[in-house]
Amino acid sequence: MPDYYDISDILMEDEAVSVVFHVGANGVGLLDPGTETNSVEKGAKIDLPFWLAHELCRRRAVSITIPSCFGQKMKKDVQADAACVDLGTRYPYFYEFGCKLFPLVGDKSMGPFLRHTFASRYKEMLSKSHTASLNAIPKFVLRLSKEEYQLFEAARSSMVEFKKWRVRDLGLMKTTIVGHKRKTDLH
Amino acid sequence: MYARRAAQLLQELSSCEEGQLPPYNGDKFDQVIRECEEHSRQFQSLIRDKDIETKNEDHYGSFIHHLSIIRNKRCLMAYMYKRAEVIQSYRWNVGRVLPREIQDKLNFSEQEYFKNYCSVIDSYMKDLDLDLTVDMVPPKDPYIRVRVLSEIGEVSLGDHAVSLTKDSFHFLRRTDAEPFISQGLMEEFIE
Repeated sequence: MPDYYDISDILMEDEAVSVVFHVGANGVGLLDPGTETNSVEKGAKIDLPFWLAHELCRRRAVSITIPSCFGQKMKKDVQADAACVDLGTRYPYFYEFGCKLFPLVGDKSMGPFLRHTFASRYKEMLSKSHTASLNAIPKFVLRLSKEEYQLFEAARSSMVEFKKWRVRDLGLMKTTIVGHKRKTDLH
Repeated sequence: MYARRAAQLLQELSSCEEGQLPPYNGDKFDQVIRECEEHSRQFQSLIRDKDIETKNEDHYGSFIHHLSIIRNKRCLMAYMYKRAEVIQSYRWNVGRVLPREIQDKLNFSEQEYFKNYCSVIDSYMKDLDLDLTVDMVPPKDPYIRVRVLSEIGEVSLGDHAVSLTKDSFHFLRRTDAEPFISQGLMEEFIE
């Protein structure tokens, strides 16, 4: 579970989602750039950061619309070729964000969609991470989301350690004192 | 407003490499605190003379301001916490004395924190009579060949004194040589 001080969790919750307000709210006009009064009208459609949308949704003040990263176009892209979808630049927190959004939106197909995307991308990532060298960054790494990147790094560093282990110098510790060899009497 | 600036602070921190710190951004930190005060003022004006139970527009507006303050607090706390973690790691990786470039990145209270942390570790090690900061990686060999880079002078190591003049070679115990190596005054001589 992400903890209070986890920076990547905090940054992930800053992602914008589009919400529709069920109630009005006074004194928060800065949230809606199009408003003239210092308040948000009931029924307004606004982009809020996820941390705000999440709390308001829990109290039924807003309802969240599914963002484009989980929409129909994305589903088509994943169907076509999951490994080519560029999550790194567009949606670096794709999986965690989806997991948090899922209970609030009530779209039952989102869970299986996330799992399917991950599974399709995993195969290529697995093979590439075990063969990648430490210095060159393959172009496909830029397409990985943050969670996938952590897995990739773990695989790459474990391969490097393995190679180091294979060619390691079996340095023997030299003893300074040579003791008397005990003769064992075998009677 | 609404914690965007606080998120920028954290972006700055997370874009640095692991174990490194950006310079302490006092300006942005103060701006975030001023934003919190602004949210608090708006909150006070919205709940004044109102019945807390009625869920009208003022209630939701004040709730949004309250959430923004909590969010800003979380961002600032995470900022300080992460920096404190890295400062602690400096004692173990760099040593008791921080080089100038690192000291410039810390603000005054962080430097105080580092001093206090060092003294806590030192008093603990004195109680144990054991230096915990050497041999962070288990060594293969207790002895190590070193070359002295800058003039250190006479040092007593264990039961004998060694004269550590510049560019001299010595065969020392690893635990004795490590403090000098981490400060950059000696280097390990590898054939």
